[in-house]
Amino acid sequence: MGGSSVCDGTLSLDEFNASAKALVTKWSGIDVDNALPDWEWRPCRKMGVPSETEGFVALEGVYRIGAGSQSEESDDDPVPDDVVEHDTWVQSSRDNVHLYDFHIVYSFSYKVPVLYFQGLQSGGQLLTLDEIKKDLPSHSLQLLNESKWTFITREEHPHLSRPWFTLHPCGTSDWMKLLLHKLGDKDRSLQYLSAWLSVVGQAVGLKIPLKLYCNS
Amino acid sequence: MAPKAEVRPRPLPRPLMVEAITSCVETPFGEALRLLKLDVLGTDDSPIPITGYYTPCTHPKVSGSLRLSPESLVPPSANSFGSRNYCPVPGTLINTNNIRGFQNLDVEYLLREEAKKILHDIMSGKIEEGPSLLLRFLVISFADLKNWKIYYSVAFPSLVFKSEMTLLSLRSASLVLSQEKAKSLSKSLKEWRSSNETTVLPFFWVDMSSDSSIVIRQLKDWKDCQDSGQKLLFGFYDNGYRQDYPGWALRNYIAFLSLRWKMEKVQFLCYRERGSEPDLEKSLIGEASFPPPHGWDDSDYVPAAIGWEGEKPGDGRKEKKLKEINLESMSPERRDEEHQLLHLKLMGWRQFPVDLKKLSSFRCLLLGAGTLGCEVSRLLMTWGVRKLTVVDGGHVSMSDVLKQSLYVDKDCGVPRATAIVPHLKERCPAVDVEAIQMEIPTPGNPVSTSVLDDCERLQTLVASSNVVFLLTDTWESRWFPTLLCANENKMAITAALGYDSYFAMRHGAGPGTVAEGSDMVAAMSKLSAEDVLGRQRLGCYFCNDVIAPVDSVSNRTLDQQCTVTRPGLASIASGHAADLFTRLLNHPDGIHAPGDIAGTNSEGPSGLLPHQIRGSVSQYNLLTLMGYSSSSCIACSNAVVREYRSRGLDFVMQVINEPTYLEDLTGLTELMKSADYSRVEWVDEADDDEEFADM
Ligand SMILES: [Zn+2]
Repeated sequence: MGGSSVCDGTLSLDEFNASAKALVTKWSGIDVDNALPDWEWRPCRKMGVPSETEGFVALEGVYRIGAGSQSEESDDDPVPDDVVEHDTWVQSSRDNVHLYDFHIVYSFSYKVPVLYFQGLQSGGQLLTLDEIKKDLPSHSLQLLNESKWTFITREEHPHLSRPWFTLHPCGTSDWMKLLLHKLGDKDRSLQYLSAWLSVVGQAVGLKIPLKLYCNS
Repeated sequence: MAPKAEVRPRPLPRPLMVEAITSCVETPFGEALRLLKLDVLGTDDSPIPITGYYTPCTHPKVSGSLRLSPESLVPPSANSFGSRNYCPVPGTLINTNNIRGFQNLDVEYLLREEAKKILHDIMSGKIEEGPSLLLRFLVISFADLKNWKIYYSVAFPSLVFKSEMTLLSLRSASLVLSQEKAKSLSKSLKEWRSSNETTVLPFFWVDMSSDSSIVIRQLKDWKDCQDSGQKLLFGFYDNGYRQDYPGWALRNYIAFLSLRWKMEKVQFLCYRERGSEPDLEKSLIGEASFPPPHGWDDSDYVPAAIGWEGEKPGDGRKEKKLKEINLESMSPERRDEEHQLLHLKLMGWRQFPVDLKKLSSFRCLLLGAGTLGCEVSRLLMTWGVRKLTVVDGGHVSMSDVLKQSLYVDKDCGVPRATAIVPHLKERCPAVDVEAIQMEIPTPGNPVSTSVLDDCERLQTLVASSNVVFLLTDTWESRWFPTLLCANENKMAITAALGYDSYFAMRHGAGPGTVAEGSDMVAAMSKLSAEDVLGRQRLGCYFCNDVIAPVDSVSNRTLDQQCTVTRPGLASIASGHAADLFTRLLNHPDGIHAPGDIAGTNSEGPSGLLPHQIRGSVSQYNLLTLMGYSSSSCIACSNAVVREYRSRGLDFVMQVINEPTYLEDLTGLTELMKSADYSRVEWVDEADDDEEFADM
């Protein structure tokens, strides 16, 4: 794998695939302490048949509790337990729970990864951008407001052909070029997604463990 | 690990209580259901198999739910989607046609029917092969298409034992197991969860007999080890997070263990995760006993069941809260477009098979953007056409504004080809309009310098369209387009107006077809009075009129030149033209379809498909006519098409410059001499067409 294209901050499809698999492996190997599930490689399906070469990485079922509160996790503030009791079952309330799905998709036009995401209420209703923003920690909001490259739009998910929110990919290759300078040559394309995620994750309130990006 | 101050469970042993499972019915699922209803199901409201996605609990404080995503509606036979947090679970969807049908559903009966399926699967051994059948669910819904809402309820049927299940103990797995065993179990669970084969199986059993290693086995492996009476744990993916209650799935699992494996007391494992790791602190190990129920092996036995989501304890089904998906936010542009097509889709459900895909992909070339062009383009969009090319050489004049329905005052002086575009877009944002300002090359008209270019342009436009509408206001301007359509075997629809009579027709197929590539000579020899299907070809607009096109404008009085017509006539003729086109599109033979005559032909699904329609408003006459292609037609006869194919635009230019050339070519000159034909105005001719009616 020629690392040459990575030097300008972009990735080829092959490099994206390799880097995605590296991310999946590395993520499941480290201890993610805030109850995030694993990233999974999802092959695209054409007429139901999984593709060999095209796919995306998915982190699905990420919960955010206490909708609207900016503090992420404080142990003394659990889900309000208005439990309804029956003689054979109990029902826990999920009113303040939001569910997020994140996908990393390769963009052929920008030659960089692009983050797509959707937020759902626990019952399944899609969250609006305003509702999503209320879930974000303050440093994410600050990043979204101040940084030129991070604006959220709603676009057709390339593999699902329905609208998802996305962080616009313009500028990605520029800051990735800077970020990757610090890395050794041979690791660059494999480390690409981990490095990229450590930045992009902040914008959408995804806690990325430091270990993911540190070497070895 | 002590439960928080809340509903505190009664001391052990106590009746087994579980945490209810909830559904997460994603808005995109609702959107997909809406489209399925509109495009595929129609009025069919029979139950359809769907797939839900189940997961063990992954979060310390939130229970997992059963997710319904757009993939859920992919037919199970074609649905290969599934992964560790998306264990596919079979379900049934009953989507009713109206809200009353939804409200009238006997929900208790439906629930019992689903429970009965679970019971059958237990008894027949199907569960061992597909454990997720124990989690079977039911969705009832009503898709309110006009208001962009879906109303639904979900049930997770759970068999009710007459005798109670008793919970004997329940503790965190990490407290029950020794450190060593916990480690070994954790390792085995991790392997189970990382294998593609086993990760989607929510029920399993754990063999704890060996001290060295703990083995996790599939239900189907039970027979092999039946007689070994060692320590066993019956594990299941538990979506619940609570420390004081096992999850919903345990009830049907116990039913299975009791009815199929004849057990009366088991140790169970509520498997839960943190992130993607087994979490033995959160996972529970408990013991339950359950005396065997009686009468369940009877094949007609219908078990009692619980499971409607959101059912408040005590007050049962009456107060069940209806859930609702609001789709208004999905995609505004697509919604607008769908709104505009809704009437067609609804038509398609009941009477008229509207092929919206074909209609929206067909490029319609409209020659003329005047009175007829405005009406026809509007109607085509209403019919679902989304690709229009409009050709017109004129400008909007003050007198046009009233008659030509799309234009407004401020369009005066603007080329029609420019003015029409925004008016079409305003009415239908999804339409793709191309408009070209150009005169149609016309025999006998003063030759402009650009006429050769215009001819080439028209050739290209006809070639790249799927149907051509001839809507110009002179007879002779339709000659060249008619020839092009005959040559290309292209659908052509003509609408024309007299003073109080109107006319709409579809042209017949061209003589033979143009062979691909070099085989031009061979193709020409095939030219015949038959079309490619071997039927006698129907005629074109000119077949009825045995004279050559000459300048019909310059020799007329003003009232003739202005083509005075009764108001309303254009709307009628345009309506017929657009309608004729959609019928033609729906006919299996397309352009080769024979011409129906009202009263003599039986109706197809889209009604009669006549060749020509002539009507007169003064007499309230409406005739359907049929005429074959004339061997001396100046536009579609073999002689003319053959000449065009061999000489191309040279031939066309010659006709434009000396119109009588055509009469010589087709033998018309001879015919006219002998029969003493007088010149007939096409607009008047509609009055005396009895000879056609006999055909
Ligand atoms: Zn003809």
